[in-house]
Amino acid sequence: MRPVVPLVAVACAALACNEGLQPVRAPSSCPTSFVGICGTVRLHGTLPDSTDAVFIVAYPAFPKSRNDLFLFVPLPPPSIPTSDSTYFYTLAIPNGRYEWLVAVWKKVGSFAIDFSNADSLLREAGYYRDKADTSKAGVVVVNGAGTDSINIVVDFTKMHPISFYFPAAVRP
Amino acid sequence: MRILLAAPLALAASLAAQETGVVYGTVRDAAGHPVTNAAVAVVGTGLRTTADPHGGYRIERIPAGRIVLRVVALGYTAASAARALAAGDSIRQDFTLRVGAIVDCFDCRPLMLSPIVTTAAKRPQSLEEVVPSVALMSDSDIASRAVTGIDEAVDKAPGVQFLNGQINIRGSSGFVQGLGSRVLLLVDGVPANQGDRGGINWDLLPVDDVERIEVVKGAGSALYGSAALGGVVNLITREIPFGFHARLRATGGSYADPPHPEWQFRDFTGTHGGADLTSSYGTDDLRGAVTVGGYHSDGYRQQDRRDHWQLAGRGDWQESPNTRLTVSGSWASDQYQVPLAWCERGTCDDRGQAYQPFKIDTASLGNRTRSDKGYLTAVLAGTPSERLRWQARASWLHTRFTDIQPKSGDDFGVADRYGGELRGEFRPPGDGVVTVGAEAGLSDIASDIFGSHRQAEYAAYGEGERPLGKAQLTTGARIDFLAIDGGALTAVVSPRIGAVLPTGSGIWRASVGRGFRAPSLAERFVSTTVSGFTVVPNPNLQPEQAWTFEVGHARPIGSAVRIDAAVFWTEASKLIEPSVNLQLIEIQFKNVTRARLAGLDLAVVASPLTPRLTTTLSYTFLHARQLAHDGVPQQPLAFRPRHLLTMGADYALGELVVGAEFRYASRFERVELAPLTDPRVAARVLNLRAAWNHGPASVRVLVANALNYLYSYAPRTLEPVRNISATLVYRY
Repeated sequence: MRPVVPLVAVACAALACNEGLQPVRAPSSCPTSFVGICGTVRLHGTLPDSTDAVFIVAYPAFPKSRNDLFLFVPLPPPSIPTSDSTYFYTLAIPNGRYEWLVAVWKKVGSFAIDFSNADSLLREAGYYRDKADTSKAGVVVVNGAGTDSINIVVDFTKMHPISFYFPAAVRP
Repeated sequence: MRILLAAPLALAASLAAQETGVVYGTVRDAAGHPVTNAAVAVVGTGLRTTADPHGGYRIERIPAGRIVLRVVALGYTAASAARALAAGDSIRQDFTLRVGAIVDCFDCRPLMLSPIVTTAAKRPQSLEEVVPSVALMSDSDIASRAVTGIDEAVDKAPGVQFLNGQINIRGSSGFVQGLGSRVLLLVDGVPANQGDRGGINWDLLPVDDVERIEVVKGAGSALYGSAALGGVVNLITREIPFGFHARLRATGGSYADPPHPEWQFRDFTGTHGGADLTSSYGTDDLRGAVTVGGYHSDGYRQQDRRDHWQLAGRGDWQESPNTRLTVSGSWASDQYQVPLAWCERGTCDDRGQAYQPFKIDTASLGNRTRSDKGYLTAVLAGTPSERLRWQARASWLHTRFTDIQPKSGDDFGVADRYGGELRGEFRPPGDGVVTVGAEAGLSDIASDIFGSHRQAEYAAYGEGERPLGKAQLTTGARIDFLAIDGGALTAVVSPRIGAVLPTGSGIWRASVGRGFRAPSLAERFVSTTVSGFTVVPNPNLQPEQAWTFEVGHARPIGSAVRIDAAVFWTEASKLIEPSVNLQLIEIQFKNVTRARLAGLDLAVVASPLTPRLTTTLSYTFLHARQLAHDGVPQQPLAFRPRHLLTMGADYALGELVVGAEFRYASRFERVELAPLTDPRVAARVLNLRAAWNHGPASVRVLVANALNYLYSYAPRTLEPVRNISATLVYRY
């Protein structure tokens, strides 16, 4: 064997395979082979100074009590940027039917062990609405691909605490 | 008449004696053990002898003047010493032999590589006698890679892969977020995993202080106890030579800029550089060495600067030919920025990109860590007879970290790990060796997130080796007792049985062993919040356990090629993973996973393939599955590549050696905590290197990741980009 052959082989093998990470434009529709929900988030109002993050989560069933509030996907919940007024989001979640796709605003601070301060730290900031009746939450079905155009309006001037949905559970 | 004849003969003999001298001394290995039957010769004369069972030798009637002594022994690199011998004088010359090639003559023509390893059985053995699979890296291997850290040196060993600083041997650990390594690190045989998190500080030692690295694959708990679930890495430091010596090592280089303009993140080119200086002095009885050094790196990503300072030392006292005391220690301080996760769309100035691998999520802006660590070890070794060796050691490992996190508050942890061991090696009449020992350890930690706790460990072990027909049979076991905060003892038994069978076509080896890893104190007691979830402690965690089966075969092909292949099968249970409870919004470490890791290891070394060319190839096939449990179906174990391939070649042109190395790791089948954009790719990394050795000086150039191939292993963590570095070493 000529001595240079292995060296050349190593170099060729490396050169032939050089396809690492490449720039990817932020998507404007669900990527190919993506499973989940995609859409645009539009931000209205002034972002509160006390903002920690804004999350988007999906509930297979609309919560019936405070105990159901943490039955969402995905986990951990992804936050969305708040620097631009419009943001195209992708939410990778399993196949299924989702009754509430909601944006959750979180205030700076840590939860108490028993989440007794959740009311002061979390707000519903907007949700995907039924196209026929915008007063209702829209249902989204994910079936092996990306479900597109699931748009949400987040209005920082019209956020609702947990007690808005479950007033009976408000603690003294 | 006889008197008349005898008188001039006696006179002549007396005169001759006045024209000659005597050289005597000892020949020992790196651990201070005598190298029996080592051959010692005076070059250019017919004078030679062999070392006695205590390693001692004596050569008389050596012509006075400048002499060169040379010593050779099976399994060791030959050593030489030039001395001035005055007529009628006697001088002492001790030799410490390093593990290396077998030589068969005094002109030192190397035959097959058959190095000595000390880790697999806690005693020196020929590689051909070792029951488990072992990968070795010599100081010349490390030097040729021109690396700046020990982790970089270990990374390309066959079957070994680093994931964001965490070592995997045959896929043992995956990526465990820094908590609980399933590989045990030893420094000269002394355990050095952290006392709190169980992880490994690879910057504990200066890389140039390491003479040899031994990687033992598979469960090693039968001798080493906890953490040796997936394997053991032993860093063996350099012996201190006779006389005054110094070594200066300076390195510098730069990182490549991002290859795409939309990924640019700074307006300058990142550089790195550092230097360390070692000086040593050795006499017949006392020897000492000190290394000081520092290193700075701008890093290759945003918020990736690092400063490192190091002090290491060692002292040897040869109290008698059969007793030796070694005291060694190291202290290292690091201050580094923490680029936790790369920026995804919207978490930084993303320039319209789905992700920015060189930038960080602004949520972690300002995060940095101060990390101090050090160890101190004393080892007393004795060889009272050719049938008995003993060793006693005491060690202290200290680690301290402070995570400075402007947005979420600082965290800190201080851990001390004290250890002691007493070991004996007996060679009863007939063939066979018995090794027995007892070990104790105490980990004492204080942290705002782990609390203040103590873990005590007590262990006893024994292993015997004896021939059985043509085969050499090894059986042993170790029992470990663990106690947390003075509570009840938990016992773990780790047996191992193995055999080595030499045949005409090579050597077969087979072994079955059990390994375990005690939960780290951090895993048991961590209490913090992550992404809104409360992480709660679980003091009832049990040790992870695994059985490893292995069959291997090593054979030479011709005089230059060696092939080593092994099939392995590991059944692991009670693996510790974070478990998320959605009802309680909490995360807790639990013993949840059963896993199966099976595969094939292949290593081929051709040295030399042709007179100037050395080539290496290693390949690991890994089938790693998390078995079904608690309604979770069977699925690939996260962060394990199915294929791991490394090819290397070095070509010598006089004093210049040029080489290349290529590493391929297939795309992970599954990852956890995957980012939204999850751009997983296979790793394909080409390193180019050149070394020029001229007398006491050498220059090495390394172009790591020469093609600037960008990839990631851990989620949202870019692996190193192209890095060009030059290293100058001068020895005195």
